[in-house]
Amino acid sequence: MYVVTEKTRARGWTRIFQQRSNQLYPYFLLAPALVLIGAVSLYPTLYSFYLALTSVRKGVMVFVGLDNFATILASRQFWHSLQLTLIFGAFYITLTMLISFILALIFNRGLSLGGLCMTLIFIPWVLSEITSGVMWRWMFYRDYGVLQRLIGPLFGNVTLIATPAGAMGIVTAASVWRSTAFTMLLLLAGLQTIPKEVYEAASIDGATKWQAFWKVTWPLLRPTTLVTVVFLSIQVVNAVGMFLAITEGGPGNATEVLPLHMYREAIQYFHFGYGAALSVIMFLINAVLAVVYIRALRSESVWS
Amino acid sequence: MMRRHWIMPALNILLLLIGLAFIFPVFYSVMTSLRAPGYGLSADIIPDSFYWGNYARLWSYGRFPRYILNSIIDALGGALLTCIAAAPAAYALARLHFKGRDPILWLILGMMMIPGLTNLIPLYKLASDLKLLSTYTIMILVFGAYGVPLGVWIMKGFFESIPRELEEAAAIDGATPFQTFLRIVVPISAPGLTATFLINFVYNWNNFITPLILISKTIMKTATVGLFDFQHALEGNQDELLAAACVVIMVPAIALFVTLRRYFLQGMIEGAVKG
Repeated sequence: MYVVTEKTRARGWTRIFQQRSNQLYPYFLLAPALVLIGAVSLYPTLYSFYLALTSVRKGVMVFVGLDNFATILASRQFWHSLQLTLIFGAFYITLTMLISFILALIFNRGLSLGGLCMTLIFIPWVLSEITSGVMWRWMFYRDYGVLQRLIGPLFGNVTLIATPAGAMGIVTAASVWRSTAFTMLLLLAGLQTIPKEVYEAASIDGATKWQAFWKVTWPLLRPTTLVTVVFLSIQVVNAVGMFLAITEGGPGNATEVLPLHMYREAIQYFHFGYGAALSVIMFLINAVLAVVYIRALRSESVWS
Repeated sequence: MMRRHWIMPALNILLLLIGLAFIFPVFYSVMTSLRAPGYGLSADIIPDSFYWGNYARLWSYGRFPRYILNSIIDALGGALLTCIAAAPAAYALARLHFKGRDPILWLILGMMMIPGLTNLIPLYKLASDLKLLSTYTIMILVFGAYGVPLGVWIMKGFFESIPRELEEAAAIDGATPFQTFLRIVVPISAPGLTATFLINFVYNWNNFITPLILISKTIMKTATVGLFDFQHALEGNQDELLAAACVVIMVPAIALFVTLRRYFLQGMIEGAVKG
């Protein structure tokens, strides 16, 4: 019901004409957005489901059914990449949440330098993955790297970026560095929705600050935490830029996470069918996470 | 409480140190970019003297100026397209009731949650079939589309906060709905449009994987893809030049964020938590 039309007192055919055009009006407004999303996101996604069932044999694209998926499930690299993605995700999510949570609690006290520090912490977030990657490689450069010199001695002076665990650690640290500010902002927004009266009531009841945190802050912030963790999980499944910029999957294939594996197969080796099948698998993981995310927002969120 | 006077100053100092640690890599690249040719990386953080010539060298290195121009065209075109497409759609979703409103809303929300990475391979194939690889057209279309879900979300929130009376008054004065939208609603939504434009401009400017896949011709590469090539060519031997390139790419995004921070933060919160 468009309020304006109720007020314009058109009669006869003009009224019918207006009603018609008013029925189409919303779709007219939506058309540019839907055409763009359809052409760039929806259609390619559907097309990838089709591509995933094909393979190029002797220069010709042929239908191969579920062969690509069978190949993927039988491939050691796929399971290796999936394992790497899970390891990366576990460390990345835990560290990002921990650091962001502490920062959010500090920022929530409304410090005088809060604005300035918020800007500083947000700067990594407005940098490109490739610029970040170049800078983090420098910090772990074998002879001069500032962090390599600082941390290297703790690990027997090995060049960290040249070891599998070190390389994964560096990409994880760089990713945490880039994501912390945004995650912190989500948690801070959650903290600020908790009314002051709740704390006052708790303190009247004789609760210590520590008790107030565990009995008030934490339960009220749990929905926000859930939303944030799912948000970060989506970042994990799609984390490719930092890996490309810092390790390119190396040393060997020690950091070839799932999306990097997909990129390599499809773009570097031109295995479109195989790459498309991988992207279908990743799309499905994303879709499940997106549904969880939307549900978390809808049903539990303190904002809705 | 008196004995806790030191807590706030201590937290301020702690927070400032954390903030400075966060921007250390940026500081380090600025310093590296100011070293004389051949003096690239060093364990000393601040060089003895500042050499500004790397920025001049960069101007004639490879096709760097062209990469910057390409980045500007792609990022600007994409962000504008996003605004043009997202604003009317958001208005329809905020104000009008029509068949299919809910499915469309879910579709857009879903698209916002799912990053574009998984459709880059089919997109590459389609662009290649349509002879659109390495063109401004494909980059602007893709960037434009990527921004639409977040743009719709930001603008929808904005439109919902505008009182309906304004539009009703315009309608009584005889304006058609579309005129009302263009002349009344859009102008007062300038802050929402600014947030949409800025966030998407910076996302596009920084985007690395999309142009890496969709652009193969050297002359059409964006600054981020150019930097990836520079990294392979220069790291370890001309780091001062590589650092200068990093700085040139970082500065516009940092400057926009620092000067217009509230638009960024407001828009991002809107996009991430208001389901």
